[in-house]
Amino acid sequence: MTTEMNNLILTLQDVSKEFQSKERKFIALKNINLKIEKGEYLAITGKSGSGKSTLLNMITGIDHPTSGIINFNGNSINKLSETKLAKWRGENIGIVFQFFQLIPTLTIKENLLLAMEFVNVIPKSDRLKRINDLLQQVGIAEHATKMPSSLSGGEQQRAAIARALANNPEIIVADEPTGNLDSKTADSINTLFSSLANSGKTVIVVTHDKNSTAKYHRIVNLLDGEIESQTIQNK
Amino acid sequence: MKFIKAFRDLTISPKRTILVVFALVLGIWGVGTVLVSYVILTKDLNANYQSTTPTQVIFHSEKFDQLDLAQFNKRPEVETSELRDFSIHRIEVYPNVWIPLWLYGVESFDKFNLARVFYENGSKTPEPGSILIERDCKRVSNLKIGSIPRVRVGGKIENIKVSGICFDPAQAPATQDAFVYSYTDKKTYSQITGMPSNQRLIVRLRNVHSADDVKNVSEILKKDFNAKGISITSIEVPRFNEHPHQWQLNTLLFLIGTIGFLAFIMGAVLVSQLMRSIMANQVRQIGILKAVGGSQFKIFQIYIAMLLLMGLTSGLIAVPLSVLSGNAFSYFVAGKLNFNILTTSLPISIYIYLIAASLFLPLILSISILYKGTKISVKKALSDYGITQNIYSREYKLLKKLTGSNTFILAIRNSLRNSKRLTVTILSMAFGVAIFSTGFNVRQSLWNLLSGLKNEMRYDVQVVLNAPISKEDALKNFKYLNNVTKAETWVGGRGELQSKVVSTEKGAGIIALPRNSELLKLRIRDGRWLLPTNDFEVVLNQQASETYKNPKIGSFIKMTVGNKSVNAKVVGITEQFERPKIYVDIKQYDSIFNPDHLVNSIIFVAKDNEYKKVIALKKDIEKAIAGSDLKVLYVMSQAERVKIIYDHLNIILTTVVFLSLLVLIVSAVGMASATGINIWERTREIGVMRAIGATPKKIYSLFVMEGMIISVMSIVIGLILAYPLSQLAAIFFGQLMLGKEAILEYAFSPLGFGITLAVTIIFGWLASRIPARSAVEIPTHKALSYE
Repeated sequence: MTTEMNNLILTLQDVSKEFQSKERKFIALKNINLKIEKGEYLAITGKSGSGKSTLLNMITGIDHPTSGIINFNGNSINKLSETKLAKWRGENIGIVFQFFQLIPTLTIKENLLLAMEFVNVIPKSDRLKRINDLLQQVGIAEHATKMPSSLSGGEQQRAAIARALANNPEIIVADEPTGNLDSKTADSINTLFSSLANSGKTVIVVTHDKNSTAKYHRIVNLLDGEIESQTIQNK
Repeated sequence: MKFIKAFRDLTISPKRTILVVFALVLGIWGVGTVLVSYVILTKDLNANYQSTTPTQVIFHSEKFDQLDLAQFNKRPEVETSELRDFSIHRIEVYPNVWIPLWLYGVESFDKFNLARVFYENGSKTPEPGSILIERDCKRVSNLKIGSIPRVRVGGKIENIKVSGICFDPAQAPATQDAFVYSYTDKKTYSQITGMPSNQRLIVRLRNVHSADDVKNVSEILKKDFNAKGISITSIEVPRFNEHPHQWQLNTLLFLIGTIGFLAFIMGAVLVSQLMRSIMANQVRQIGILKAVGGSQFKIFQIYIAMLLLMGLTSGLIAVPLSVLSGNAFSYFVAGKLNFNILTTSLPISIYIYLIAASLFLPLILSISILYKGTKISVKKALSDYGITQNIYSREYKLLKKLTGSNTFILAIRNSLRNSKRLTVTILSMAFGVAIFSTGFNVRQSLWNLLSGLKNEMRYDVQVVLNAPISKEDALKNFKYLNNVTKAETWVGGRGELQSKVVSTEKGAGIIALPRNSELLKLRIRDGRWLLPTNDFEVVLNQQASETYKNPKIGSFIKMTVGNKSVNAKVVGITEQFERPKIYVDIKQYDSIFNPDHLVNSIIFVAKDNEYKKVIALKKDIEKAIAGSDLKVLYVMSQAERVKIIYDHLNIILTTVVFLSLLVLIVSAVGMASATGINIWERTREIGVMRAIGATPKKIYSLFVMEGMIISVMSIVIGLILAYPLSQLAAIFFGQLMLGKEAILEYAFSPLGFGITLAVTIIFGWLASRIPARSAVEIPTHKALSYE
């Protein structure tokens, strides 16, 4: 086994995704080959309709490819059942959405607790301490018992990041996490992602924000469902 | 174009469209069934009854041979009249099973002027020496055309052929009273009964509008008869222009009316809830339509078109269903009450009402929701992205201290998320639970009334004679019965037939019995039981109290029996499901009305009152009667009497429970739709939960838990509501069945409670399970991209 193989966390081999409607067939992704290393801070960019979100859905197991193989730590996730996929996702992937998508009926702390309860990998006795630590880490510890609606957009996104980290996943996936934030807040969120990558997490971010791309280790640009270019930057 | 968009929008989410249409169908179907059956039943029972040209007054005299009937019929007060003989005997309907036989002697079977019976089968006019029987009697006997049953007339037994079947819609159903109604010509009548003919004159009057009018005219006629030397022994005035079982129909119509109204309300709630959900889901679309230039009115029109389409579809399904079920229910009731459905086509206005209800009901109910939904600003509409952020704070404070698993807390908070919808859902479900539970409680009240009969009448078999005889003659034939521990003789007893033997001038039956008899322990509603005093004391049952215009305890009523009268002191009112009856101490009764101490009821108490032993005793009594010259009206065991009363109430009891179950089902559908709406509105949230690791099982459990929380809240509120509702229902049914002043006692039904609990939980579970299952079937990527 090579070092590269040891360091790989996620590989996509010839992954394609087609959507079939009554009138026509639409190819969202064409033969995508992508290797992502542990601790990598990766940006996926591209125009609207280029396949960014579809690719993210493939990586997170939210949707299945029409063809091709997706391996996580050397194991294919293609044939996992919905239940096993949900469990795998909960344990290994933390997702951050553009519109935060916190559960509005739960406090910030409870939102994190719910994620832990769903996945059940963090021992019950450690959960509250971990939540406190995570909220400290993202800088909103004082808002732990507040409802999401009483927080600002930036604070909600920090809470969503904390939730994504709740089960200590290896990969954090963020779909345009700063798309709904002002530039100052967006900067602070990007810094947070960067620090997560520096701490050893693999962070994959779909973004339109060209100003923020400087900090990424690699930028994958999509065009019409294909990888148009890959830019490797300094780690 | 608006219709095309409306139509396509409906096809986007077929499940939701089906649910809205289903809710509408349910509401319209409920209202439609009630409307159709109401139109048919109110018209047809009365039409059946009126088709007989019913009798309004009956005169009894031994001197009618002096009457010139043709001349009498020319009187301005008289529409028509006939000398129609009538007497009660006994007929063997199964081997050794005898029930009362009502025998009428008819002038002509070809031309009825009044009290008409209709030909059904066999001979139209009975063959000489034979009888026609009323069609409903076939249900209480094995009699058919050609049968030659044994008939006991007084002390003798005759074999009389049944030569035909007829239909008499003016009679109470034979099934409920366990009578056989029969008709024969006057010659055969005299041969069978050995009684003189033409002693009973049935009359229909002109220009009378109430029972009081009939009574007033009857008094004038009576005076004229007396003046001509025709002494009238008694006058009977039946209920004015009303079928004997009209009360049952009234109760049923009230019931189905109530249920129809409830179905309408439930349907209305469902439709408005679903429209609210549709509007919530189309917020972004509304924003886009406005952004491309659509005015609020134009967008409003699209949703109006959508509602009209759904209304039309619902109407096309619900109207034929309503006609079918309304007819089916009418036929069911007609079968029970023994009348024919005459309505062959419904008035066109019914169809117009139903179609109009289908089209405009959803419109009226949803108009404010549509208005509010389409009023939203473009900015607000376009920024809607799935998960509602508007969260209460009051409820949160209340629930903040709640401990338990996060899923449980989430379920509770989600249940409380839309307080308006939650209130509507819980109230409608609670209402269903309350109605269902009330149905059982009323049933229990009626059942207690029946059970009370056993406690009230502590005897097992009663022999009722056609006419009073001496106590010794009454008892001498029963000395050698084995299973008898006690026998008493009374004047009068329970039931309508008893009242025909001894009754007051107002038709209230007399029951004269030893004041301290252990065999009758009535429930006294007001006042007390009879005591040894100098006054002539009486206790009235509720219907007798009504007959005597509700006298106060301690007041006096004038009581006339035959040609003697007494001022009787009312000392008590009893609760009974019974014809008007007056209870009096036999010694006091004899001292005024019965100097010869004659009796007409023999009451037996069995040593062993196990059902089979009592039936065996009854058969022994029948054998003893067969060997005697006693003129017996009927022999009845308590068990049979309770069954007869139960049969009277059964149709109502069954309908109460059945219809209340329907209300509960409609409520459950309401709950399912509310849960469904919750799920649709939170589809994106489901996607988020799946994305953060929730398995389908966990999401399914969450929604089922939410449903169960709503169920439990509904059950608690419903059962609390059921208490006052049951009390009101008991009062209502009591008055309808026992008399205006009667109160049916509230009773709690443990069985009903258990069934309500089980059914509601099962329905609640199903109502949550179905939408919860569809929630977990949504793929995660679709849930996340749901708008």
